[in-house]
Amino acid sequence: MSAKREVIPLPVRAPDTASGSGQPLSMAVRGGDFLFVSGLTAIDLRSGERMQGTTASETRQILTNLKQLLDAAGSSLDKVVKVNVLLHSMLEERNMNEVYARFFPDQPPARTVCGARLPDGVKVIVECTALV
Amino acid sequence: MTEKLQRSAIEPKNPLLNASRNSNLPHVPGIRIGDYIFLSGMVPVDPQTGERSHGPIAEQVRVTLSNMRHMLESAGSSLERVLRVHVVLADISHMAEMDRVYREFFPVDPPARTAWSMQLRFGNGCEIECVALAG
Repeated sequence: MSAKREVIPLPVRAPDTASGSGQPLSMAVRGGDFLFVSGLTAIDLRSGERMQGTTASETRQILTNLKQLLDAAGSSLDKVVKVNVLLHSMLEERNMNEVYARFFPDQPPARTVCGARLPDGVKVIVECTALV
Repeated sequence: MTEKLQRSAIEPKNPLLNASRNSNLPHVPGIRIGDYIFLSGMVPVDPQTGERSHGPIAEQVRVTLSNMRHMLESAGSSLERVLRVHVVLADISHMAEMDRVYREFFPVDPPARTAWSMQLRFGNGCEIECVALAG
């Protein structure tokens, strides 16, 4: 038998979308030694409310939340293996990077950044794969 | 780590769904490595004909996820063992409609997911990839 799949219960819910109730996703799923975290947008972790702002402020909010989520799941920012960052505009890359660098001061994870159309007017989405 | 992980290509039981081979693209439908399966981005292909299936977005998402189920089951895994999904839409305004169909395939404890929109090839309305645990 191979590794076990486990949805990590987190004190968080994805923000509601146009589709009605919350999105059909788990914030984090563990499989074996790896933890897969859904693409996060800037929300208040307690209320689930959106925190729309600048690319910098959304990045800060997302990574603050990510740190909390990883800690709650038995992982941490320094165990992140790979990050994907989606930006509403690549012109904002520097604004994201300045904030991002503070969360990963040494030996940052592998990362891809790409510009894409994002849902519901969000400016940044960050997802990651981490070790547990 | 001294243990060497086994790496092998995944093939769908239905050869019409081997889109990368049928379109002569330089990738395989998926790779199994150790306990994990990594699938290539899957697009709407009619499992009866192997042709592109370009109906309404709901139908495109349904056929793509149904083919993904087939791909995973061909490899001894299943939708229930999916860990993370990437959903890419050609049109961001299709997000709600995609979610509606997506729920049918992942009714409980859905995988982690990221969804966004960017340009897709061949006029496809969606492309979906996943990482799953092997069977």
